[in-house]
Amino acid sequence: MNWKTIGIIISREYLNKVKKKSFIWTTLLVPILVAGLTIGIMVAVMNTKEKTKAIAVVDRSGIVLPYLTDSETISFQDFSAMPLDSVKNNLSVMSLDGVLSIGPLDSLEKTVSADLYSPKPFGMELTDNVNSRINRAVEDYRIASYHIEGLDQILKDVKANVHMRSYTLGEDGEEKISEAGVYSILSMILGIFLFLFITLFGGMVMSAVIEEKASRVVEVLVSSVKATELMFGKIIGIALVALTQFLLWLVLSAAIIGIGGAAIGFDKLGGQNPSEMVTSMSGVDAEQLDAMTAQLSDESELSVVLSTLRNLPYGQLIGLFLIYFIFGYLLYASMFAAIGSAVENEGDTQQLQLPLTIPLMLAYIIALYAFRAPDSSIAFWGSIIPFTSPIVMISRLPFGVPAWEIILSVVLLIITFVIFAWASAKIYKVGILMFGKKSTWKDLWKWFRQS
Amino acid sequence: MAIIECKNVCKNFGEKVALDHVSLEIPEGRIFGLLGPNGAGKTTLIRIINRITIPTDGEVWFNGRPITQADVEKIGYMPEERGLYRKMKVGEQAMYLARLKGMSTRDAQQALKEWFVRFGIQSWWDKKVEELSKGMAQKLQFITTVVHKPSLMILDEPFSGFDPVNAELIRQEILRLKEEGATIILSTHNMESVEELCDDIALINKSRLVITGGVEQIRRDYGNNNVELVWTDAEGRHTEVLPRETDGTSTLRTFLEKEGVQINSYKELMPRMNDIFIKLVTEGEE
Repeated sequence: MNWKTIGIIISREYLNKVKKKSFIWTTLLVPILVAGLTIGIMVAVMNTKEKTKAIAVVDRSGIVLPYLTDSETISFQDFSAMPLDSVKNNLSVMSLDGVLSIGPLDSLEKTVSADLYSPKPFGMELTDNVNSRINRAVEDYRIASYHIEGLDQILKDVKANVHMRSYTLGEDGEEKISEAGVYSILSMILGIFLFLFITLFGGMVMSAVIEEKASRVVEVLVSSVKATELMFGKIIGIALVALTQFLLWLVLSAAIIGIGGAAIGFDKLGGQNPSEMVTSMSGVDAEQLDAMTAQLSDESELSVVLSTLRNLPYGQLIGLFLIYFIFGYLLYASMFAAIGSAVENEGDTQQLQLPLTIPLMLAYIIALYAFRAPDSSIAFWGSIIPFTSPIVMISRLPFGVPAWEIILSVVLLIITFVIFAWASAKIYKVGILMFGKKSTWKDLWKWFRQS
Repeated sequence: MAIIECKNVCKNFGEKVALDHVSLEIPEGRIFGLLGPNGAGKTTLIRIINRITIPTDGEVWFNGRPITQADVEKIGYMPEERGLYRKMKVGEQAMYLARLKGMSTRDAQQALKEWFVRFGIQSWWDKKVEELSKGMAQKLQFITTVVHKPSLMILDEPFSGFDPVNAELIRQEILRLKEEGATIILSTHNMESVEELCDDIALINKSRLVITGGVEQIRRDYGNNNVELVWTDAEGRHTEVLPRETDGTSTLRTFLEKEGVQINSYKELMPRMNDIFIKLVTEGEE
């Protein structure tokens, strides 16, 4: 191997691809799209929370209305002076979302009847919220009827508010707050990205090989450099293109999410910690507490998501993503190069490509399964067997994988890469000089044995 | 001295024998024609000399020692299946190919500029190859083959794709490079250019070397050693084929002494390379 000539080949391949308009556009647009989508979803989620429902109240009992205080999601308006039917018929005119009718107090049973009318059905969250306020009103009414001094204070004191949080235990005994959903989504994203990267850039290697063969420049080239040098120079050059794109995407996405996030105050929301929020709640009136609970649990969930995101081992994830990308890419790219050497135009690759696309698709499918069952045996074997391991292992990683499994799978992947790169180079060497005839796998096998 | 010596070179592709014990010497500073019908094994032999293909058996020597990968920097090769990157700029492409041949960026730039001036194509430097016509691309291809001043040039069908003007330009360049001391292997089916340019030839047929040697000598060997005399007397114009005498002048002298005879021409009758080629190849069929 002459590294000087390989260097020249690498730099041509790299500059040629990086200077292309299509490279510049995808590099710029993809992070903008991804970040835009992420921020868009975040904004949408936050905005739906803020939308309050206006509910008219016709209270015939006289005990419930004080409990119906406005919250962030519901505002109540007193329409007790009006007949229920006229309120029902004029909801849209008064821009109300519904009407709550409380029947007269049944002093014998010490209860009320309650009916909620609305043109569009309300969500569970809202109906539960309203229902619990009515129950509280009735309970308080009943407690009051016992005439015990200071009872409501006693009740407030015994009120428990426990929110369970889940943690993952690190090997060093470190505890991290976790959210399974975050891991699942991350797992899926990583798997899909690696699949796309290997397919995309492996395909790029194949196209580059075909281009050289179709334009007949290849025989000129191999009279100056060895065919293997040409092949690996090409593969390494395109790998550098991929890494450049990956790093630019990472930096650009981080920048856009950072700027965009700061602009919409996303950080402030995430900065709050559930326990702080609970403490700050303790001063709130009892009647408000229930109203807040639904909201609190929502917000603390988001907070857990964010703190899970914050606690992810990014260095490890990015490092392993790069290792699996590099070796997975090298394995597939060298096989793609061998196939490219056998044809003179892209249309002829369909049939020859099949043995490569099948394991890739399989890996993709297993990866999509792995994010639901990361420790299942199919996910385990998928992440050990070299042809599927890069994609499957990366999608298992967010859930935590024992070090020996990672090491085993990386070592196997590297060994397989070396064997297949050697075999591909043998095929490539002969294939690039074969013109005119449409080649089959049988030809490739013949070339492999010949050279 | 021979710049290239092929010593019992054999090449098998599986069952198929592409070259069968080919031994030949290519003398330095001359133009060597490599002839043979399609599929005879010429391209395989050229690829072996270029170290693109490794021979199954036998050796190639370069300047008196076994050839190494480093020697390919002293060889310039224009294959029959040739081309350039279509999407690349002319200058970048020429620089790339020159640097792959081991030239430094500065040397490559300087040498290319000189060649571009010589061919009057300076304005092409920033054009894309796909914008060039076929003949223009061939000119560029020729430059990239010779820019690194190779001591051995291997040109496979160099005139195909050129119009007569450009073919003549390339012919002159080949002769000029020979004068400067380069050795040229010319593989072609065009027997006229073989007669005109080549000093020596080798003919390969069905994987075997059929004949090798100087062009003059081979033509003489395959002729009948006759001369053709054309003269005019009172009866008119006569053409006569006569055996050539050892002293080469006695026949002519008797004619010169005759009264009223005017000699129009006297020339050695040599068979055309084309006829020798056909004869040797068809003999092989039998």
